[in-house]
Amino acid sequence: MTSKIAIVGCGKIADAHVEEIRKIPSVQLCAVCDLEPIMAEQLATRYSIPGWYFDVAAMLDQEKPDVLHITTPPQSHLALTRQAVAAGCHVFIEKPVALLHRDVQAIIAAATGAGRKLSVNYWPNFEAPALELRRLFETGALGSAVHVESFYGYDLAGEYGMAVKRDPEHWVRRLPGRLFQNVLDHVLNKIVPFLEDEEPLIQTIGYCGDGEGTEARPGQLLDELRVMLQGAHVSAYATFSAHARPVGHSLRVYGTKNTAHVDFAARTLVLDRKQGFPSALGRLAPPFLVATDYLRQGLKNINSFSHARFHYFDGMRRLLTEFYLSIERDSPPPIAYSEILRVSSMMERIFEQVYPEVFA
Amino acid sequence: MKVLVTGAGGFLGVHVVERLLAHGYTDIRCFLRDSSKADRLLQLSASHQGAQLELAYGNLRSKSDCARALADVSLVFHLAAGLKGSAAELFADSVVASRNLLDALNARDDSFGQKARVVLVSSFGVYGVVPLGRGVQVDERTPLEDHPERRDIYSYSKLRQEQLFWDYQRKAGYELVVLRPGVIYGPGGGAFSNRVGLQIGPVFFHMGGNNLLPLAYVTNCAEAIVVAGIHPDSAGQVYNVHDDDLPTASRYLREYKRNVGRIRSFRMPYFAVRLLAWLLEAYHRHSLGQLPAIITRYKAAAAWGGNKFSNSKLHQLGWSQLVTTYDAMAANFQYLHKQQEKE
Repeated sequence: MTSKIAIVGCGKIADAHVEEIRKIPSVQLCAVCDLEPIMAEQLATRYSIPGWYFDVAAMLDQEKPDVLHITTPPQSHLALTRQAVAAGCHVFIEKPVALLHRDVQAIIAAATGAGRKLSVNYWPNFEAPALELRRLFETGALGSAVHVESFYGYDLAGEYGMAVKRDPEHWVRRLPGRLFQNVLDHVLNKIVPFLEDEEPLIQTIGYCGDGEGTEARPGQLLDELRVMLQGAHVSAYATFSAHARPVGHSLRVYGTKNTAHVDFAARTLVLDRKQGFPSALGRLAPPFLVATDYLRQGLKNINSFSHARFHYFDGMRRLLTEFYLSIERDSPPPIAYSEILRVSSMMERIFEQVYPEVFA
Repeated sequence: MKVLVTGAGGFLGVHVVERLLAHGYTDIRCFLRDSSKADRLLQLSASHQGAQLELAYGNLRSKSDCARALADVSLVFHLAAGLKGSAAELFADSVVASRNLLDALNARDDSFGQKARVVLVSSFGVYGVVPLGRGVQVDERTPLEDHPERRDIYSYSKLRQEQLFWDYQRKAGYELVVLRPGVIYGPGGGAFSNRVGLQIGPVFFHMGGNNLLPLAYVTNCAEAIVVAGIHPDSAGQVYNVHDDDLPTASRYLREYKRNVGRIRSFRMPYFAVRLLAWLLEAYHRHSLGQLPAIITRYKAAAAWGGNKFSNSKLHQLGWSQLVTTYDAMAANFQYLHKQQEKE
């Protein structure tokens, strides 16, 4: 049976949701909604979506969707989730899940309490190299995790960054964790599968990369973040940078056997392996081994491209497919709620250190 | 009379303010989003005796900022619009912002809203030229686009913006004048319009060929906006804005190469553009959007369909070019050459 999908929130990211939903044959996008009718109308017109609304209650009542995608700013996620699950919808939420950790807990409780499923758009973790990394880890190819480094670059000179920079009232600037809160999910959600402690030690530095130091002027955005996390067995280092070029997006997992490096921008996974060549030969071999890995990854990517599976948001398509399947089969959703909660808990503890005045 | 100019800090906005001052309008509220764009307005203020330029900062996405912008104003020149970015950003900056401005105008309790005159700077992009066939003349009677979703996002947002102004005009009764400029160019602007071609990687694909380029030099365009905006007979009218003696796209490219610098260009005749568009569309469809369909047959017909243009209605209103096309192109290329040397 074809599931009906609806979207509330017709900003920039809604385009990506529409495009990925339309690639999944088992579902049908029936309507979109935005408090601002013009925004709902333009999205529906551009993608020939049959229904558009500016009142989510009216949309839920008339369209009766099976799944509601919530792509509004996070301030509204809790109320919308409650409204959606009360109407019988499963919920797919754009990150950040909510303003505060307790709101994330309430969102998950609302969904599970109503017997509905919920997932969050942690799409990079469903890119092919990220899934391959998880497989390698689960099969023991890396050994036990020792340390994880997650790097996320951001171009504030880009279209979205400029919109945030020049508008002091932009919703991103009103988040408790400001700019960091809008992106930190993608930095931390790669770490939590390896660092399973509920409350790791956290040390954070946030500052302005243009030389203004750690104290922001009124209205100024902190745009560089360094976080050190220490669990019982695994440590991690999370970096967010708006100034490093090229704008990178990567994950390195140091294991007791091998070390893996995922480059999300280039969609590659390479391994630094232990190798057994003696003396100088041992120093000659590694570049060729890594080159072989890159060649293999390049060929895989060509293969994906030739099969039209190399879209920017291909990870979102995979994640959505798995989420919709979990609803159909009544199996666990693709992202464990415990991971979502640990990400949100870490985020809040980081923001408490960067913006203590907000949480005082 | 207090005049409001939205988007006053932009490429066109500064010139509109300058032409308003030249026409004797001195009490001008310049509404702009970005304080870094205030320098040229401050220079204008200093160089025009009696000028009372009020620099007001804000964002038209905010309803309260719109109300503040309109206070005591009886003539509005609405230039602010999204030029680039995602579809959502363009619609928020052009259409939602316009709706907020119009709501604020309607909400004024001094019955000034009904008496006010609004001058909207729209675009050539609103015309639905594709069904008319190749080589058709575009004038103010040309029908508007029926399939905005098949055009570029900018054209769609400008069409929706203009429709909004006409809808509100019918309901609220204020005077509306609409200007539809072609390709606005000049120092401070870009080098090439899509009507000349597209830069893809290191190669400039010249698709405009011998089509006329509806250039509107920024000073001439600003003059047209002010002349039409203040003319007593222009209420309820639409005016296309472009210069006289229009060059072809290939002449523009040739002059660019001669005056600015060499670029690697590849000329594509119209049938080849259509063929490429068909291939891109087919691949886009087959791959579910793996590569963007930057050119479609519909967009190609709209941009490179070889239209002719008329600005006779604007001339009848008394507008004439302040800068000849020859001098305008020379000034533009001189600016671009200097920019290139800086880089």
